[in-house]
Amino acid sequence: MGLLFSRLFSSLFGNKEARILVLGLDNAGKTTILYRLQMGEVVSTIPTIGFNVETVQYNNIKFQVWDLGGQTSIRPYWRCYFPNTQAIIYVVDSSDTDRLAIAKDEFHAILEEEELKGAIVLIYANKQDLPGALDDAAITEDLELHKIKSRQWAIFKTSAIKGEGLFEGLDWLSNTLKSGGG
Amino acid sequence: MSGHDSKYFSTTKKGEIPELKDELNSQYKDKKKDAVKKVIAAMTVGKDVSSLFTDVVNCMQTENLELKKLVYLYLINYAKSQPDLAILAVNTFVKDSQDPNPLIRALAVRTMGCIRVDKITEYLCDPLQRCLKDDDPYVRKTASICVAKLYDINAELVEDRGFLDTLKDLISDSNPMVVANAVAALAEIQENSCRPIFEITSHTLSKLLTALNECTEWGQVFILDALSRYKASDARDAENIVERVTPRLQHANCAVVLSAVKMILMQMELITSTDVVRNLCKKMAPPLVTLLSAEPEIQYVALRNINLIVQRRPTILAHEIKVFFCKYNDPIYVKMEKLEIMIKLASDRNIDQVLLEFKEYATEVDVDFVRKAVRAIGRCAIKLERAAERCISVLLELIKIKVNYVVQEAIIVIKDIFRRYPNTYESIIATLCESLDTLDEPEAKASMIWIIGEYAERIDNADELLESFLESFPEEPALVQLQLLTATVKLFLKKPTEGPQQMIQVVLNNATLETDNPDLRDRAYIYWRLLSTDPEAAKDVVLAEKPVISDDSNQLDPALLDELLANIATLASVYHKPPDAFVSRVKTSIQRPEEDEEFDGVDAGSSESSVHAVDNSSSPSVSSNVPYASTREGAPAAPAPAPAPVPDLLGDLIGLDNALVPVDQPAVASGPPLPVLLPSSSGQGLQINGQLTRRDGQIFYSIMFENNSQIPLDGFMIQFNKNTFGLAAAGPLQVPQLQPGASARTLLPMVLFQNISPGPPSSLLQVAVKNMQQPVWYFNDKVSLQPFFTEDGRMERANFLETWKSLPDSNEIVKELTASLINNVDVTLDKLAASNLFFIAKRRHANQEVLYLSTKIPGNIPFLIELTTTAGIPGVKCAIKTPNPEMAPLFFEAMEALLK
Repeated sequence: MGLLFSRLFSSLFGNKEARILVLGLDNAGKTTILYRLQMGEVVSTIPTIGFNVETVQYNNIKFQVWDLGGQTSIRPYWRCYFPNTQAIIYVVDSSDTDRLAIAKDEFHAILEEEELKGAIVLIYANKQDLPGALDDAAITEDLELHKIKSRQWAIFKTSAIKGEGLFEGLDWLSNTLKSGGG
Repeated sequence: MSGHDSKYFSTTKKGEIPELKDELNSQYKDKKKDAVKKVIAAMTVGKDVSSLFTDVVNCMQTENLELKKLVYLYLINYAKSQPDLAILAVNTFVKDSQDPNPLIRALAVRTMGCIRVDKITEYLCDPLQRCLKDDDPYVRKTASICVAKLYDINAELVEDRGFLDTLKDLISDSNPMVVANAVAALAEIQENSCRPIFEITSHTLSKLLTALNECTEWGQVFILDALSRYKASDARDAENIVERVTPRLQHANCAVVLSAVKMILMQMELITSTDVVRNLCKKMAPPLVTLLSAEPEIQYVALRNINLIVQRRPTILAHEIKVFFCKYNDPIYVKMEKLEIMIKLASDRNIDQVLLEFKEYATEVDVDFVRKAVRAIGRCAIKLERAAERCISVLLELIKIKVNYVVQEAIIVIKDIFRRYPNTYESIIATLCESLDTLDEPEAKASMIWIIGEYAERIDNADELLESFLESFPEEPALVQLQLLTATVKLFLKKPTEGPQQMIQVVLNNATLETDNPDLRDRAYIYWRLLSTDPEAAKDVVLAEKPVISDDSNQLDPALLDELLANIATLASVYHKPPDAFVSRVKTSIQRPEEDEEFDGVDAGSSESSVHAVDNSSSPSVSSNVPYASTREGAPAAPAPAPAPVPDLLGDLIGLDNALVPVDQPAVASGPPLPVLLPSSSGQGLQINGQLTRRDGQIFYSIMFENNSQIPLDGFMIQFNKNTFGLAAAGPLQVPQLQPGASARTLLPMVLFQNISPGPPSSLLQVAVKNMQQPVWYFNDKVSLQPFFTEDGRMERANFLETWKSLPDSNEIVKELTASLINNVDVTLDKLAASNLFFIAKRRHANQEVLYLSTKIPGNIPFLIELTTTAGIPGVKCAIKTPNPEMAPLFFEAMEALLK
């Protein structure tokens, strides 16, 4: 009986496997967020030279989450992953105020991409557990999020280490995608 | 119009690549896998699918092992063409190398090693490091091979990360397969490096010997190959190792057998006990024979290796000649090799059997094989004096069959037999002349003409015979023309009658005016000049007694043979070429910075520019001295301004392959007066005295230079011509600038077996010395055997007796040393012992003392000595037995000098 139900569900939503890219500067916490979402625990990470890809099931939606390395040398290859992307999770290290300007430039460069025109954007203002971390309003200001036109976006305060804010963001993402925003 | 043409360039039809791209990005796993399979299929048939690189790499992180393997395969293929994008795969490698499944860990590390992209090698070090210490032996063994691969890409990185040490630790691994792979990796690295990296110590030795018994057959091959490079400390050590390895000879895998044979052969060099050696030879025969019952291809490989083995140790297969008899259905390449080995194994004992075989072969159908068989008969005749007559009678029988190519081949070899045994078998010339008309091959013709010319006085119609050839002189190939020319001159000198005189006119005319072959023309002019100036002198030159030939045409140069024996069971031993002749490898030598600087200094044209000469050296022992030489720059008596490096010229002049050694620093040495080698009267004031001496187990050339000229001399260099012992300088000649009237004495370390001259042993050592002010001086030194007697020549009594008995009587040579006198036996023995002639036993016979001694010279050649004398009365009878009786004259000279 349970099997029948799950089949029913999967025919409704499961087929829809949303492709999501996790982007952001190096040391923003992308890989930690990915495995926090997937396994629910904090793993020790090393800089990602390349990518990680995992499937995360949440709210009856299967997210195929691509975590791409954020180092300067790898950023040019992000574009290889743009096609067919429904959503972008842009992770910002809220405590790294020095590099917020770079984060802003990279962010707006991504938004310009033709292939990402339809993608919705979720911003994680990460590392809220660190002292001196800017809050979501300040990050919104610094990233000039108000300039975003004709695209759905949201920003959440998160701490991957503590696991705060991540699933709230994912809730927004799944709801927006279900409602056809993606 | 142009506006419409653009449509031809755009198409709505999707090509194969975009289709594959879509499928690769499909969210269905099966579709993805199929797509990757399609990509691999396209790749293997040669289509360029490199543009799908990222799409394929994106499939890499999967649970599915099959899919992962396919993606890895793709990566190995295309990472090189997409070096930038290859970086995207790094993270997956890192992850996979930590996968719980050891197969995936090993797969990851193996693939990483195959991706030869500089940009990513650096990232692969951490995973590699982890895998080298993995719990699973399969991962460790795969990782150890990966180190060798990485070394090939980036040697420096491997050394900096300490992978070499980790690899060496793996030799002590508990798993024999890991040991074998670590050994294989280290051996590979060693081959690519100039520095000693992999040296087996007594500790690792026992580990390897233990692992040898437990690991797979190919692992055994690696270990055996490594062991064959191990330098045993003494005979006992070598015996122990060999004993542990001999069971491998019974292995079913022929690679293991050959590697074991190689290893035993290498270690046998050190074993002194003839008993042990004989035993080992006995043990090696059956496995080698067994190899010959395998497929023809393996037989061929075995035969090529056996060819080398019998050149070094003929005794191993001396009694097995029958297995080398050709079977009718052997492939031709096997037959040819078998013939070659039969010749090498032919001896007085088995020659009858062998000749019967050869005769049989000479009547087969394959022309090449028949020819080779006939040649084989000739070579046996040259090799075995006692069998020469039988060989000739076989050849004559073959000539009687009148098969054209057999006759021609027979005549060629008979010519060689004549040259080997002059004035012995000329009675058969008449038979040969019968087949004169059938000759149509240049070599056979030339041989026949040579015979006619050489024995013109015994052939009544020699002039007629030659004349018949002369008719076609202008059309003949150069080989025949040259022989005709010489034969005619010989004929004329032997029978200066009218007929030959006319012939010589015609030939000389033809050869000087009508030909455009410079060799022929020059030779004709020389004869002409000789004949017209002094016919008697011409006789002396042309009819001079010629040296007897020996058959060494198929003997390898000893140095090459050594190298090939060390490479048994590799391609080198099949090609009979040293590995570097057909494998090009770039030796990675990581120069230490300070060395680099010194090299720069030298290149910048400092006073030491003569070092360039050494750079061209082919002798490793000398080139290794380069840094040494240059560190001595700026020594107190530095030579005067930059002398031009001309030494290559000198090398060409006397045809040496050894390098000149620069002179750069004075060395203080003193000792007894040395014999004069170059008197100052013939050296424009430079006098050179010198002699070979032995000190601390090494041979030195003790030389003194005395400058009696008016100018200072500097930049001394020395070079030795090929000689019996292969003597060459091991280091730089160290002589300071010599002011007029000054002298300097030095000890030049020497090495052996560097440039060995073929032929019978000779005490002659030709030396060339040059300096920057004078021409090159050549002089001869007469070498005494005394400094060659090695420290390890002592023999046990039983051993002595056995060796004495095992050597045939033909190896015993006796000489009366009439000028020698032994007054006091003990004093004499002490004196002899100081020269490494070791006393073994003494007995009295009537009123005579009989002393037994032993010694050894390099190359492991022992001399067993029996001295018979009456104390106080001049005259010593010296009898020696040695495997190398040709050395006897040199030995007696040395003995005489010692007993003076």
